[in-house]
Amino acid sequence: MSTFLQLVVNGLGKGAVYALLALGFVIIFKSTEVINFAHGSLVLFGGYIVVVTRDALGWAGASVLGIVTAGLLALVIERLLLSRSRLADPASLALLTIGVDVIVTEEIVRRIGVSVPFIGEAWDANPVRIGEITLFRTHLVALGVAAVLITAFYLAFKYSNWGIAMRAQAENREAAALMGIRSSRVTATAWLVAGLLAGVAVLFIATQDFSGSGLSRGTHSIALAAFPAAILGGLDSTAGAVVGGLVVGIAEALSAQYISFDFSKSAVFLVMLVVLVIRPSGLFGTRESTRV
Amino acid sequence: MSSAVMDKPVAAVTAPKRLRWLRILAWLVLLVVLLALPLYLDASWLKAGEYAMVGAVGAIGLTLLVGQAGQLSLAHAFFLLAGGTAYCVLAGPTKDERVLGFGLDPLLSLVLAVAFTALLGLAFAPVSGRLRGIYLGVASLSLVFLGLYFGQSASTLTGGTSTGREPAAFELFGFPFDNTGPRIEILGVPFRQAEKSWYLFLALTIIALVLAWGAVKGRIGRSWRAVRDNEASAAVMGVNVARAKAGAFAISSAYAGLAGVMTVLWYDILKPDESEYGTYGINVSIAYLAMVIIGGLGSVGGALVGALIVNGLPQVLALYSTQAGLFTQSGEGAFTPVLVSIFIYGAAIILVVLFEPGGLAAIGRRITGFSRKNPGKEGPR
Amino acid sequence: MRRLSLALCAVLAVGACSTKAGDSGSSGSDASGVKTDVGVTSSEIVLGVMTDMSGPFKNLSIGITHGNQLWVNDINAAGGVCGRKLRLEVVDHGYKADTAKTLYPQLEPKILGMVQLVGSPITAALKGNIQADKVTTTPASWSSELLDNPYIMVVGTTYDVEMIDGMAYLQEQGMVKDGDTVGHIYIDGEYGANGLRGSRYYAQKHNLQLKEVKITSTDTDLTNIVTGLRGQGVKSIMLTTTPSQTGSVMAANKALGLNVPVLGNNPTYDPVLLKSPAANALDKLYVVASSVPYSADIPKEQQVAAKYKAAGFPEPPNAGTPYGYAVAEVWGTVLKKACDNKDLTRDGVLAALQQTTSADTGDLVAALDFSKPGAPATRQVYVAQADASVEGGVKYVKPLFEAPDAKDYQAPHQK
Repeated sequence: MSTFLQLVVNGLGKGAVYALLALGFVIIFKSTEVINFAHGSLVLFGGYIVVVTRDALGWAGASVLGIVTAGLLALVIERLLLSRSRLADPASLALLTIGVDVIVTEEIVRRIGVSVPFIGEAWDANPVRIGEITLFRTHLVALGVAAVLITAFYLAFKYSNWGIAMRAQAENREAAALMGIRSSRVTATAWLVAGLLAGVAVLFIATQDFSGSGLSRGTHSIALAAFPAAILGGLDSTAGAVVGGLVVGIAEALSAQYISFDFSKSAVFLVMLVVLVIRPSGLFGTRESTRV
Repeated sequence: MSSAVMDKPVAAVTAPKRLRWLRILAWLVLLVVLLALPLYLDASWLKAGEYAMVGAVGAIGLTLLVGQAGQLSLAHAFFLLAGGTAYCVLAGPTKDERVLGFGLDPLLSLVLAVAFTALLGLAFAPVSGRLRGIYLGVASLSLVFLGLYFGQSASTLTGGTSTGREPAAFELFGFPFDNTGPRIEILGVPFRQAEKSWYLFLALTIIALVLAWGAVKGRIGRSWRAVRDNEASAAVMGVNVARAKAGAFAISSAYAGLAGVMTVLWYDILKPDESEYGTYGINVSIAYLAMVIIGGLGSVGGALVGALIVNGLPQVLALYSTQAGLFTQSGEGAFTPVLVSIFIYGAAIILVVLFEPGGLAAIGRRITGFSRKNPGKEGPR
Repeated sequence: MRRLSLALCAVLAVGACSTKAGDSGSSGSDASGVKTDVGVTSSEIVLGVMTDMSGPFKNLSIGITHGNQLWVNDINAAGGVCGRKLRLEVVDHGYKADTAKTLYPQLEPKILGMVQLVGSPITAALKGNIQADKVTTTPASWSSELLDNPYIMVVGTTYDVEMIDGMAYLQEQGMVKDGDTVGHIYIDGEYGANGLRGSRYYAQKHNLQLKEVKITSTDTDLTNIVTGLRGQGVKSIMLTTTPSQTGSVMAANKALGLNVPVLGNNPTYDPVLLKSPAANALDKLYVVASSVPYSADIPKEQQVAAKYKAAGFPEPPNAGTPYGYAVAEVWGTVLKKACDNKDLTRDGVLAALQQTTSADTGDLVAALDFSKPGAPATRQVYVAQADASVEGGVKYVKPLFEAPDAKDYQAPHQK
């Protein structure tokens, strides 16, 4: 029993970070219908900035810089590339993000070279024990941060001007534009926010507690978990993204023990396929209808 | 699929007759040159060309699926793995304790492997009935992960992710395509594995090319394009949409399966990957997608050029670098040939989407002054 | 039309070039009657190094390469072998067998033999090529599955025997008793499977319940696996993994309150772990190996260490260097014998190898006996633990020994 509980605890901790990744992913999708294949490279970029500035600025300073620059990179990608594309349709833009992802990821992996720098803080590898259960401090901090950020976004979506504008644009782009909502501003802000979230997520990913590895190509692979998490929850549902992230984390942990370790690595993607086929709008998303 | 990148149609030819003969002659000249190359080039250059041919076969299949039929797929790497594994299992030695083999004739194994992969593609096709556009692409990603799991767990078939297994040497009616067998010399040049494989791969690529051209120009191509442009209209016109999609997936997967067999013959090993980055990983699916986007979605000739750039360029750069002393650093921070090529094709994808959605095929058409008019779709959008 | 004519001219021009007929390598014998073929000229002998400079075992491999190079420097300073200087030709496969397969045909025509080939799986993948091309190889891989290939010489104790010796040590120290449950986390492929062979043998002999968990070389987070093992009540965990995976296991072992002794084969430890977040969890790790730690107080190793410092290599030293030096020295013995036989061809090197029934490495490696094909050349190991205070990061806790169970164990190709 304690094994089961421990696995759930492990899974929830990782799930919080997956939720952050999925949330950023969904924010972009909600406002632009673009599937951002470059999310992993935003994660890597933020982490890289932390690695190179950590000695100079200390962990806190480097983290802030990493988060901000990840957001800026996302903004630059949107402003410089996506908005300039003559083809506004989301599928082509998604293909464009594939190209961006390839370039940014390879460049950062090249710069990191063969070192695998950990970017955790003092709470990494320093767990808390409550009876039989171990709580990894990195996971606890991630849970706390995720809870704060997610609540903040939920409130912003519901009550702030920006949130309303975004929801309006997601519902009906033309009508929103007619109502005076500057589509380009909403889109740009959405990308910026997604980048910021990616920058936060990497602080917890490249740690001993979370991945057992520092910043490396593997970090990009981990960020891929945003896909199944977001899709599980429904690509246009922010609440779904959060639930999806937690489900992915727990599924990974439980299947590693009760099915097999090999399977756990691919399990969530197979689950994603099943969800897409049976319920394409995910657990919480709105059902789509196509016009003939 | 409503992507404007995929909206560049390949339609009826209105070129004058003289130009048509010129094109045929140009292809013939190219063929003669290719047939003669093993007499002049070293084994390592031939290997580089062979790798481009592997890419060409895979890319042709993918451009038919994505460009002609409008079905986005990121699962190409999975079908590569399936084809390569099927070949190794079917043609492999029967008495090996570590891995399973059936000892069948290599040519038969190749054909069966291609057929097997086509069936797998057919099995995935119904998903395209439920999902469209980029969602289909994301769903197809899961196949790559399925391949990853399969490679790791079915080690009696694949040999496992550390060592893999050796493919049986290809033989055509007893004539081996590796270094065994009688010593052959043509015009004084010894014909060993690299030279023999060149002709094998060339033959396979030509077959792939001709079949694809036939499909594009024929009924099946028209039904694909109808489905791509507007499914409901296609159905109204009498096209069996589900069957067209299934056919597209089956054919595209067959091409990928063939490319998979060529891949394991080229590497001389089948080794499934340990992670999402490797010989059968998402990066490879993306590379094939890059080939077809760069070449122009739906253009078979464009797929060839795309393959030359994405697969051929890193090999050529690596060879030049050892000769010219460029890119020779390795380890920390090195600009290896593979890396430079990845930058090039990543940038090419971006540029194509931004500026020329028709890819190199559209650029090529503009240069040669061809105009391909498709009634109903005018202008760059 | 003009374009076509240009194309035709180009073809004719190409046709006018000569074909590549007639290019082939050179062989023959030199002035003093020593026969040579591939990889040997009148002034140099080239030995190949296929190593991992960018993958999971890069630190150990770079250490081994430095050791090889130090020996090459020494032998060249002493006049070389057979009047020729030695040179190393190094390529990086990143611990990927398919990369190695593409690099091998480029390397093979340049070398006489291989002084380093890292990775049991890579060696296994190249087994056929090595045999077909007659490339004598001393791999930096200790799998006993490789021992059936006459061209391969494994310098040291193989992983299965390492495991048996190590488990015997744990039992002798009272950390494991007959009937206990133990876990073994191993990488799929030759490396892990060979270690597993040893632990299965020992578990069967001592009635241990062995919980096997297979992973792959790029997995990094093993927390869930250790959680599962904890639930199964293991008293110890065996590892045949990469160093970063070892770090993850050690960190989880401590974090989850399991705190059992962990036993690892020789490549599982890398002193770089002492600088990682897992550094304070390494006290329960025991590493077994048959070549000495960098910090060992034997005279020969102290010389090697001094040379390492003098050479100014940027990387911090590790146990790879004494091993690399020792292996290269074994090659030197073989080459000298081949020179005496007046045959420095690939066949000549093989013949000389088969005449080398023992090799003296100045105690850098346990005493080696190559006279029984298929059997490991030694079955001794020492046990070490991580220690941040010494250079090279490990210190002995038990000097070279051989467990009775190891003596009785039959390696897969042993006759």
